Order: sequence, then structure tokens, then C-alpha cells
Amino acid sequence: MTITSVPARDLLTAPKRRTRRRRRARAYLLDLVLLVVGVLMVAPLIWLFAASLTAPGSAFSVPPTWVPHPFSVENFVDVNRMIPIGRMALNSLIVAVLSVGGSLLVSVLAAYAFARLSFRGSTPILIIMLSALMVPAQLVIIPVFIMMRNLQLVDTLTALWLPALINVFAIFFLRQYFTSIPRELDEAARIDGAGHLWILFRMLVPLSAPALSALAILGFQASWNNYFGPLIFISSPDKMTLPLGLVTLQAGHGGAPAAVVFAAITMVVVPMLVLFIVFQRNFVASVATAGMRG
Amino acid sequence: MTALLPVPAAAPPVADATARRRRRRREALAGYLFLSPGLVLFIVFIAGPFAAAMVLSLYSWDLLTPREFVGLDNFTRLLSDPLLPRVMANTFLFAFASVATHIGGGLLLALAVNRPMNRVLSYFTRSAIFFPFLLSWAAVALLWKYVLDPGFGLVAYYLGRIGIDAPNWFVDPSWSLTAIIGIDFWYTIGFTFIILLAGLQTVPTELVEAARTDGANSRQILFNVIIPMMSPVLFFATIITFIGAFQIFDPIHIITGGGPENSTRTIVMYLYQTGFQAFQIGYASAIAILIFFVIMGVTLLQFWGARKWVHER
Repeated sequence: MTITSVPARDLLTAPKRRTRRRRRARAYLLDLVLLVVGVLMVAPLIWLFAASLTAPGSAFSVPPTWVPHPFSVENFVDVNRMIPIGRMALNSLIVAVLSVGGSLLVSVLAAYAFARLSFRGSTPILIIMLSALMVPAQLVIIPVFIMMRNLQLVDTLTALWLPALINVFAIFFLRQYFTSIPRELDEAARIDGAGHLWILFRMLVPLSAPALSALAILGFQASWNNYFGPLIFISSPDKMTLPLGLVTLQAGHGGAPAAVVFAAITMVVVPMLVLFIVFQRNFVASVATAGMRG
Repeated sequence: MTALLPVPAAAPPVADATARRRRRRREALAGYLFLSPGLVLFIVFIAGPFAAAMVLSLYSWDLLTPREFVGLDNFTRLLSDPLLPRVMANTFLFAFASVATHIGGGLLLALAVNRPMNRVLSYFTRSAIFFPFLLSWAAVALLWKYVLDPGFGLVAYYLGRIGIDAPNWFVDPSWSLTAIIGIDFWYTIGFTFIILLAGLQTVPTELVEAARTDGANSRQILFNVIIPMMSPVLFFATIITFIGAFQIFDPIHIITGGGPENSTRTIVMYLYQTGFQAFQIGYASAIAILIFFVIMGVTLLQFWGARKWVHER
């Protein structure tokens, strides 16, 4: 293709130079547009950081503050006085770790059954589970709430992570991944005397590390940011997770001043930003992997 | 007992068959064992509640007094609910706007980024577009509530500088839903962007080059080569965006509570208010079933329509 087009291009030097110049101009224009988009995307966050580090009285001056002046960490101290934010962060972490760890364990076991073991009913069960992907969370939340109430699990962290252990998407995703790993590997291991657990945890799981890390990242993010669940199940501040805590800080008992709310948002955003900068590739890859399923 | 019969020639296959059967039975047992935690959780937290929601929708219940069987009353009430048309209109408007802005914007951004460019600029724009997606709706909604504040917010100030009077977003019913659409775009465009960028990168460059040598212009390449090649990804992104958008709740609950004048009350917000604030469990279940059928219906419709424009590879 390239070979045949070379002589043709040589004949057309003049137009080529013109298109190249036009193409370069267009590239600069695109660069500029992207720069503007990028700045617009980060501007609210920069303002957030700057205002939260400004002394309460001057945080929201007009024109907006882009540099914290006078600098102060008072807003952050106030957050701690108004809500147990450390406890809330710990709650978020506990719920996320249990949800992600537990659901991955459950999913890996089920995916192995679907991908490697033949038993009666496996296909119908898989189809029923997959059709549940279309069931919106709101449809099941009312009965689940009544169930949790009867089990006296309302206002406990258990109500948040226990229902998260079942993740049909993860089961299906891992089943597909396991199926793509050659069965000959299992058979070789079985001849050497390996059992199902060994094959699953010593062979398939390590080989599925990319899929597992994608699911773990997406699951962690979903749990960490969940608002609907805590809103319905949790009422006492020391059981709240960060998202609900933030909203109660802003709306609860008269509401905190905007600068304090900003400090609290900053405390939630900055750890995520650090994680993102460190694990950027993994974050992006996990979203792309989940998307490429389609 | 068969072993006692004097047919030594047939013995090995019989032993073989029983061994195979036993192996198969053990494999099935292992299958049920491995599946059991997932299956139990599935029944307890998805299948059971799903059936329970169907049953609850036939009752009138406030969680305190004994429930009362009312047949299909909740559904007839739903169909004549004077709020429902407004709520559905808001929800569909939000969902369509969300799909259009995310797919259109995401595709444009992916195309703009997918070319040789300055590494710092490339890193900055990709990160800036993607990062908000990692935050929680709670943080995003609260932040934007202040960003859009008519008094000291960024948007009002900078729009004022270029001579535009910013509306009072969350007080003016004709602007409130638009504001939520905008915030949602800022928050989740990174997801669509990354998915579409990954899809764009699977389009073979030779194909694009070939079209260009054949004299196709950029627009022809986009519509006749890139978009058809990306159609499975575009389809997936459309479905995911629609389903997510139809269930929009967090920012509504946090910023507007459904107001002003119902202008941002979406179906899930309505469900939440009915079920968890008014404790009309039966009626809320009926609303949940409506959500289920709408999502299923639209998804099936999209799959049906997809046969016309999605190219299987």
C-alpha cells in the first residue's frame, strides 16, 4: 500500500505541502481545544482545594480564590469537630474491603463451577443469573430492607457489605475469562494429582490477575462511592460511610459552613487523587476492560 | 454383584463405566459445592427479593400496621398518578440527554486525543477528563452545588465576566434539570471517554489509511469507517449510559430533593420518597416494577434496533 502510493505523492508535492500545513494548523487548534477542556474539567477541583485551605471568612470571596490566602487549616479541624470523619473513612474502608474481597471469592468459586465443572442445571442457572443483570437495584432494595429490618441489621455495616457479596457481572466476567484459559492446563495438573481447589487458586486465579484486578478496582470504587445503600440502611453518624457523612455534614443540624464542607470534600477527594496518580494505568485499564466486554 | 458373574471379558468396560459415572457424579457434586455460596446469596439477595417485590406490589403496607391485599390497585393508581407523567418525562429527558452528550462528547474527545500529540498535554487532558469519574456522587454533587451558586460560584462569576447572566440553577425550574445534566456530564464523561477510546484504538489504522489514500475526507472516514468499526463499543456504551441515567438518584437527592416544582423529580427519586419517606411499601414496589419493565423494554428495543447499525466482528 505504502509502496504504491510513494510515486503518486512525489508527483503531488505542492498540494501535499499545503495539506500538511493545514493539518498542522488543525492539530494546534485541537491541542488548544483539549487544553481548554482539560482546564475546565479540573477548575472546580482546584477551586475546591484552594477554598478549603483559605481562612473561613475569605474562602468564598468574589472574584473566586485560586490561591489560598490567608492560608488556614481551620476548616479541616472543624470537619473533625462536626462529624467523626476518621471513623467514617474507616467504615468506608471496612465495607469496601469486605464487599470486594468477599464478592471476588464467591465469584471465583461460582465461575469455576460454570467454566470447568459439568453438572445438571448449570446452563439454566447461569441464564437465570444473567437475566438478573437487568433487574434494577431499586426493585430488590425494598424487600432487602424489610429483611434487614427483621434480622435487626439496619444501621449496621453488615447491611452494606452482605448484599454486595453477590456480583453476577463478576461471575460471568470471570467465567468468560476462565473459559479462555486452555483446559489442557487443568488436565495436566489433575494427572499430577491436583484437586479442584488447587487448580482454581494456584492456576486459574493467578492466570486471571488482569480480570481480577479490573473487577477489584471497579468494585472498590462502586462500594467506596455508594450513596443509596448507606442512605437507606444507616442512621447513626458513627456507622456512616464517607459519602453519606459528607451529605449529613452539609444538610444535617443546620448545616456546616460552605468552607467546612469544602474541607470535607477535599479530604475525600485527595486520597482518591493520590491513588489515581499512583495506579493510573490500572484504573484506566479496568474501565477499558469492562467496556471491551461489549 | 456383577463382578461375581463369569464374564471376565465384559468386566473391564463395566468397571470403566461405573468409574466414569462415579467421576461424573463427584464432578457434579464439586460443581454444586463451588456454586453454592453464589447461588445462596443470589437467591437471598436477588431472586427472593425480586419475587417478594412482585408480591408486595399487590399489598398496601406501611411497615407498621398489618398489610392488606389490594390486588392491582397499586398499578391502577400508578397509571392515574398525576405526578407520573412529569416524573417519567424528567427521567426520559435526563436519560436521552445523558446518552446524547456522553456518546457525542465522548466520541469527539476520543477522536481528538487519539493522534500523535505532546505527551504532557496528552497526559493532562486524559487524566483531567477521566479523574472525576473516580469520585463519589456525594462529593461531586456538593462541590457543584457551590460551583453553580448564584452568589459566589465559579460559573456565575465567569459567565458574568463575559456578559451572561447565569440563571439561579436550582431555584429556576426551567434550568434545574439542565444543571443536573451538566454535572452528570462532568462526573461520568471519563467513563464513556475511556471506553470509546479503547474501542477507537481497535480500529485498524491500515483501514483508515487505505480510505485516506482512496481519497476519502475526514468526515467520510469517520462515518463510513470508524463509526461502523466501533459500533459494538458504541452500542455497549449507549446501553450502559442509558441504564445508569434512567436510575439517576444521588445528585437529585443531594442537591434538589426533586424540586423546584418537581422539575428534577425522577422515577427513582419518586420511588425513594414513596417507599422510604412515606413508607408506602406496596406502591413503591409497583413503581420499582415499572422501572424494571421500562429498562428491560428500552434495552430490548436497543438490541432490536442494533441489528440495523451494529456490525458484529
